[in-house]
This record gives sequence, C-alpha cells and structure tokens, in this order.
Amino acid sequence: MFQNKSEYDRSVNSFSPEGRLFQVEYAIEAIKLGSTALAIQVAEGVLLAVEKRITSTLLEPASIDKIMQIDTHIGAAMSGLSADGRSLVETARVETTNHRFNYGEAMTVETCTQAICNVCLKFGDSKSKMSRPYGVALLVAGVDEEGPALFHTDPSGAYVRVQVKAVGAASDGAQTALNEEYNKSMRRGEVEDLAAKTLKAVMEDAVTPTNIEFAWVDAGTRVFHAYTPAEVEVILARLAAQPAAE
Amino acid sequence: MLTPAVAPIEAKKKEWSPYTDNGGTTLAIAGPDYAIVAADTRLSNGYSISCRDVTKLAQLTQHCVIGTAGMQADRAVFHKLLRTRVDYFKYKYGKTITPTALAQMIANILYGHRFFPYYCFNVVGGLDAQGHGVVFSYDAVGSYQALPYATTGSGAQLLEPLLDSHIAQRNRTQKNPPMSKDEAIAFVKNAMASVSERDIHTGDFLEIAVITREGTQIITREADGVERIKLGFD
Repeated sequence: MFQNKSEYDRSVNSFSPEGRLFQVEYAIEAIKLGSTALAIQVAEGVLLAVEKRITSTLLEPASIDKIMQIDTHIGAAMSGLSADGRSLVETARVETTNHRFNYGEAMTVETCTQAICNVCLKFGDSKSKMSRPYGVALLVAGVDEEGPALFHTDPSGAYVRVQVKAVGAASDGAQTALNEEYNKSMRRGEVEDLAAKTLKAVMEDAVTPTNIEFAWVDAGTRVFHAYTPAEVEVILARLAAQPAAE
Repeated sequence: MLTPAVAPIEAKKKEWSPYTDNGGTTLAIAGPDYAIVAADTRLSNGYSISCRDVTKLAQLTQHCVIGTAGMQADRAVFHKLLRTRVDYFKYKYGKTITPTALAQMIANILYGHRFFPYYCFNVVGGLDAQGHGVVFSYDAVGSYQALPYATTGSGAQLLEPLLDSHIAQRNRTQKNPPMSKDEAIAFVKNAMASVSERDIHTGDFLEIAVITREGTQIITREADGVERIKLGFD
C-alpha cells in the first residue's frame, strides 16, 4: 500500500509494519504539550485542578474552560486540544442525560468514561465526522453509588482507573510530587493544598486565582462544584501562609 | 320527483383488528422487606378457555418480577424483549438493572409503541437499594406510577377495592400493622380465589412470586408441594 515506511504516519487507519498507529501516537504526544491538569481521589471525594495558560493580558481568563461539568455528579478536566475536549464532554453530557431519560437514574462514572472512549475510536472512516484522533486526555471524576471514582482517558480510547493522575506538559514532575504525598485518607483541605502546591511547583507563571481552576465532586452529596476565583484565593492564601520549609 | 335522502346501504366492512384480550388478573404488593407479584394461569378466548396453565409472570432479575395481563402474544414478545434488554444492560453497565431503572425503561419501551401499543397491562414488583418492596403499575402506553399495591387485567375491578380495604385501610378507624410476608401470601391466595369466583377469565391456577433480599421464589404449588394452587371450584 505504501511505498516506503515514512508514509505510514500519514494514515490514521493503517498499521505500520511494526504494528503501530502513528497518528494515534502523535495525538498522545500532543497532550504532552498541553497545560497541566491533575486529579486526586480520596474517600471524601475527587478534586480536579488545572493550569490555565493566560497567553495575553487582554485575554479573559474566565473564557478558558479546562474543567467541565458532565452531569450533576461527574466532571472532567482536560489537557491537549481543548476544542476536542469540549466535543468529547458534549457527547458525554448527551450520554448521561440519555441515561437519566432511559432509566431514571444517574450514570456511573465508568460507563460515562466508556461512552467517551467509544467516541474516541470513531475517526478515520468515511462515515465518521472526525478525520483524526482526538488530541486530548481527560480526567473524568465523579461519585456514583460505588463511591468516588477517577478515570484517565487517552486518544487511543483506552481508559484506566486511577487514584491520582497528572497529565499535560508538566505531568512527569507533578505525578512524582503527587505520588509522594498522596494517601487516600486525606481530607478535602489537604487535597486542595496538595493540588495547589503541585501546580505552583510545576507552573512557569506564578499561580493566581485566575490562572488555575479547581473542581470538587463530593462523596457525600454527589455534587460537582467548580470553585470560584474567590474560593481558589482562599486555598492560595492558605498555601502562602504555610512555612516553605519543605 | 324528489328522491328520499336515504343513505345507500353498504355492507359494513370488517375492520382490521389485531388485538385480543386473553384475560387474566395480576396482583402486586410492596411490603416493608418483600414484594409479591401474582397472577392466575388461565388463557381465555371469549367464553372459551384456550389453556389452563400459561404463566403471566416473568422473573427479570434476581429481585424483580413482572406480571402482565392482556394479550398472550404481545405478552410473550414483550417479556422476551425485556429479558434481552435486562441482559444487555448488564453487559453495557456492568451491573444488574434495579427495579426502579427497569420501571422507567419499561415505560419508555411502551411509550415507544404509542401508536401501535403492546396490548399489555403490567405490574412490576421488586426490591429497591434499601431492600424495601416497590411496585409499579402501567397502562398499555407506558403511563406508570409507584404504588404500595397494584392490580391489572380482567379481575382488577373486583380486586382493587379489596386491596384498598385490606392494604391501604383508609376507611378503618383501627388500622392493622402492615402484613408480614406470610400473611401477604395467604391474603393473595384468598383474594385471587375470590376474583376467580366472579371473573370467568381468571382461574385455574395461581402463581406467586415472592421477592425478598435472598432472591425470588415463584410459588406454584401448595405447601405440601404436591398440589398446584387451585383457584375456585374443581
């Protein structure tokens, strides 16, 4: 089919002789260019935290949405091409809403993630609207009847359940920092502090209430809550007050 | 000469009629820690009895049973469809469908056939997440409601006031506590036997599905295990 090996990476739906799908691999690479997003799951709930790159002082920070609500009990943080992320979140919203219509109850976090990953695979053939893989990683966080749950999806359509996950440009450093300090019995305040501290450590710009975004899905109420800049400011003030001995 | 204004006489065309009512009565009761779904096994065609031993019940999950009165053919297809949907739910969502979710799904399926309905009058009984009995009652196009007790079919009009009196007890000054499982089973036997006395489409045998936390038991025989639960005279 292809004359030489370098042409395999032009196709989104042909395996190379080594058994690789280059475009999918490149899509996964695209995420490593994205802004950092992290998620932490504890018994009390799940926290999502993202960095927002404010590229210009004339940019309205509130117009950048890196954390989106999917249903009352599920939210997602994204890293990579945020337009692709919005599109996937939109399909997830349709799925969870349909589930409520069909069965009169909330969808589980895993099924919602599964629905997103089904869409991730629909690219390349003539019938699909998407001509290329979705260049975005999602951290899908929520609380269902089994308790808090956190999933990580990538452009290949694979998903894994995780306790703590960092994606994006500074994911390696952030993941190492999170792994060191995480334990699953942390309280909400401690989780907020850990997320803020980790973002502060890995971000190039200084953290402000407008260039980071937080959201929490509470295990008790099963409600997704996106933090206002004022609420983020409280966390940052707490962080600043801590001794910088560590 | 004027002709009298009389409509021309035409042979009345026999209209296409795809529905038959095969009779039968269903009954469901939601208890504090159990649910009961019961139905007779008679299959009627007008004044004829086509069969004396056809089940109107279908166990859909470990903790959920549907009872259906109306047309036998539609009931058979509807139960088959529900069984496949329950299986598919488990594959897709990785858990068994709850009676509450199933109740909504059944309503959607019935309403999906709004303009050529299944001739099915369903009651659904099961246990909710807390282990309390729940009962849902439907019309043929999917209008449904959660109720403490429900009855559908040819004997429903006879049974309903009896249930109002014995279960809801609204007209009583001295109220009895809710029936235990065994009291409810005995009550169902008596109530269905009474219906079979006056409704010609209800009779022959009784089947009682008893749903508890441990699972569902469908009682088809008397306590001695030999005799079927006979309704009315021999």
